[in-house]
Formats: sequence, structure tokens, C-alpha cells
Amino acid sequence: MNGMLVFLGSLLLALMLQIVQLPDWAAMARPAWPLLVIGFWALYAPTSPAIAAAWVLGLCCDVLLNAALGQHALGLVVVAFLIRRLRGTLILFSSWQVALALAPIWALYIFLMFWIDGLARHAADANLRWLPILSTTLVWPLTAGLLDSILSRRARRNRMRLP
Amino acid sequence: MLGLKAVLFIALSITLMVAENRGAKVEPLRQWLSWALTPVMWLAASPANVSNSVDYFHSRETLRDENRELRDRLLQQDARLLRLASLEAENVRIRELLASSSALQDRVLIAEILATSQDPYRHQIVLNKGGKDSVYRGQAVLDAYGIMGQVVQVNQGSSVALLISDPDHGIPVEINRTGLQTIALGRGDGHGLSLPYLPGNADVKVGDLLVSSGLGGRFPAGYPVGEIHELRHAGGESFMEAIAYPKAHLNQGRQALLVWSERALPSSAPGEETVHVPIDLPAKPPAKAPKQAVVP
Repeated sequence: MNGMLVFLGSLLLALMLQIVQLPDWAAMARPAWPLLVIGFWALYAPTSPAIAAAWVLGLCCDVLLNAALGQHALGLVVVAFLIRRLRGTLILFSSWQVALALAPIWALYIFLMFWIDGLARHAADANLRWLPILSTTLVWPLTAGLLDSILSRRARRNRMRLP
Repeated sequence: MLGLKAVLFIALSITLMVAENRGAKVEPLRQWLSWALTPVMWLAASPANVSNSVDYFHSRETLRDENRELRDRLLQQDARLLRLASLEAENVRIRELLASSSALQDRVLIAEILATSQDPYRHQIVLNKGGKDSVYRGQAVLDAYGIMGQVVQVNQGSSVALLISDPDHGIPVEINRTGLQTIALGRGDGHGLSLPYLPGNADVKVGDLLVSSGLGGRFPAGYPVGEIHELRHAGGESFMEAIAYPKAHLNQGRQALLVWSERALPSSAPGEETVHVPIDLPAKPPAKAPKQAVVP
């Protein structure tokens, strides 16, 4: 129950961070927050409905950013699936190794978004499209650490209350 | 099992995208979701609102200065308006002589800008007026300085407008000094317009004012659009390109004006394309027809 609350809360917060106003120079390098949150739940919480959540969150992103309906949904579902698939390997890595190993997955997501934009004939210059890959990789240890500490603190408290 | 679920959702996403691209009716889903996400948008905009409300505690000094400046400006504008009134009357008389029906006064509605698009590759704003206020798709959006863009999506209580600096946007303009007709496309860098279809020998100078020409019937004629900032003429090319900066303050301010221009059709069901195509003009809406540039 409590875990569910953290789950939904983190998804909402990610949506908000995705559309909160940033100055122009920072907006180019905004980390893909929904990606980070979905990545965390897919990797560290095997029972959470990460793929379904990825799809709904993606649709919300599409509406908020006024992109083609299904664009972000597709990208997030692909990422959630890949991370779930590679979970067995990734879970053995140390945290900085995970951060590095996830970078290609973020890159795949950004490329998918770019590609779909191209298919939808939404021309946009491609020079700085790679910046979010960098920022997302840099922010990953922070996000994962924060969510992990919230979860484990809740788990500890619950365990103490049980007997 | 995992793979099956992923494939299902991926297929669903692709179906949605293809359906929307083919023009199927997915608009209700989008409108419903955007209605459900209103609190999120509102919360995400609150940091900006807080920083705005800090301005509330202005010092007396600044307020007095601003007041004096505004009063001076008002005086100047009043003087200019006096002249304008007589000019307008004269214009109406001349138009009557010419039996032209286009009116000078446009119906307008002030809308609050709720949010600007936070995707750096899309230049869009969300306005707080929607289908309830009979906003229609394709409607022109202005601010005090010039044309900002046009409405591309109408929800019940809000609407989304595409700015003229978006790479998907094109607007028919004329150069005020010479009357040369051309099309201004967004450059996508946030603050530039490009006029790519100018003949090599066109009479264009840096500093020329671009006004909307009203061709295509989507934008009202005669509003400022931008100012020529740079001319590029590559040797051997038959066309010259001009770079202009928009007159409207695209990423400042909180208000925008929605205009009901005379030549557009009155509002129909939200989401329906309302393109009014005059008989003797290029038969395509201006936003989607950059290739149909009118080159004199």
C-alpha cells in the first residue's frame, strides 16, 4: 500500500518536473524524468506494473508536450521492457556501473523520439538532441538513490511495526 | 508474458500514432487526458507564479517611476490615436468608395497564457480560453506588439497555440515598405523567422517591417509580424533568404489576444479544420503550404 503511494507519487512528480519551466539554456538539457522513474521501478521493483505505468505515463507526456499521441508511450514501454529483460544482469552491477550501462538505453529512447518526430514531419534541429542523454545519465544515481532510500526506510518501519 | 505485454502496448502506441496521422478521431482521448492533467499543469506552473508574485512587493520608488513612465506613454499614444481616428475614418470612406467589405475593427478576446511548451523543439503555448469561448482551430493569436501564432488544438476550457517561430509554422506576409508578398517560416531556434523564397533582386532591406498579408484567410491583414534582421544571398542561387525577428514578444508576458478575423469562417465544432480558402488564392492553409510561396 505504502509502496504503491511512493510509486504513484514518483510518477506524478516526474510528469511535473518534465513540464516545469526552465530557462532556455537549461531546457535543452532537461533530464528525461519519466524515463528515470520508469527505469528505477522496472529495475528495482520486479512486482511493480512498470510497463503499464510506462504506457500511461507516456500518454500523459504526449498530451502535456503536445506530441503525437503514442510517441512517448512507445519509447517508455520499450525502455521499461528492455530494463526488465536485462534486470538479471544489471542487478549484479555496482551503482555507477548501472548508471553507465543504462546510458545506451537512454540514448535509444532519445533516438526513438527523434525518429518519430522525423516521421511525423516535425522538423527540429538535431544539434543538441544528445544533451538529455548526458543529463539523464548524470541524474540517475541521484534519483535511484533517493527512491531507494525512501523505499527501504518505509520497509524498515513496517517491519518493526509488524511483530 | 513480459514480452507479450510489451508488444501489446507497443502495438497500441503505434496504432494511436498512425490513426492520428491518418486523421482518425483521437481528439476526444487527448482532450480528456488534458482535462485530467490540468492539476499537474497548474502545479508545474506554480514556481513561476510564485516568482511572479514576489514582484508584488515592489518598492514605492519603482512603482512611482513606472507610473510616470506609463502616463507619459499614454499621453503619446493618445496623441497618435487622435491622428489614427481621422485616418481610420478616411480609410472607411475610401473603402466604401472601393466597395470593399473588410472591416478595420476585429473582434478580440484576451486570454491568459497558462503554460509554454517545455519541449525545446516545439514552440507552443497553452491559453486559458477554449471551445466554451468559441475559440476555433486556426484562429490568430496576437500580443501588443504583433502576431504570435495560431490556435492548433481546442479543448473545452483551454487551447494550444503554435507560435510563428515553430519550424512547422508558416505565415503569409508582405513587406510593409514595398508590398512584396512572401511567406515567413519559423526557424525553430526560438527567436527567428526565415523568408526563403525571395527573388534574388527583391527590394528588401535590413530593418524592413513585415506585416501579415491576410492571404489564405487565416490571419487578419495588416498586423506586424517581424523585422528583417539579416539578408543572405548565396552566389549562384536564384533565391535570396532573409532572416527576421518576430515583433511579438513570444516568450514574455502572460496575456495574448485571440482575434476573430473577418475572412475566416465562424467557429464550428472544436477540432474541426476551419480553413477558409478564398477563390483566387493559393488553395492551401498557410501553415502547411510553405512550398506554395507566392513569388511575384
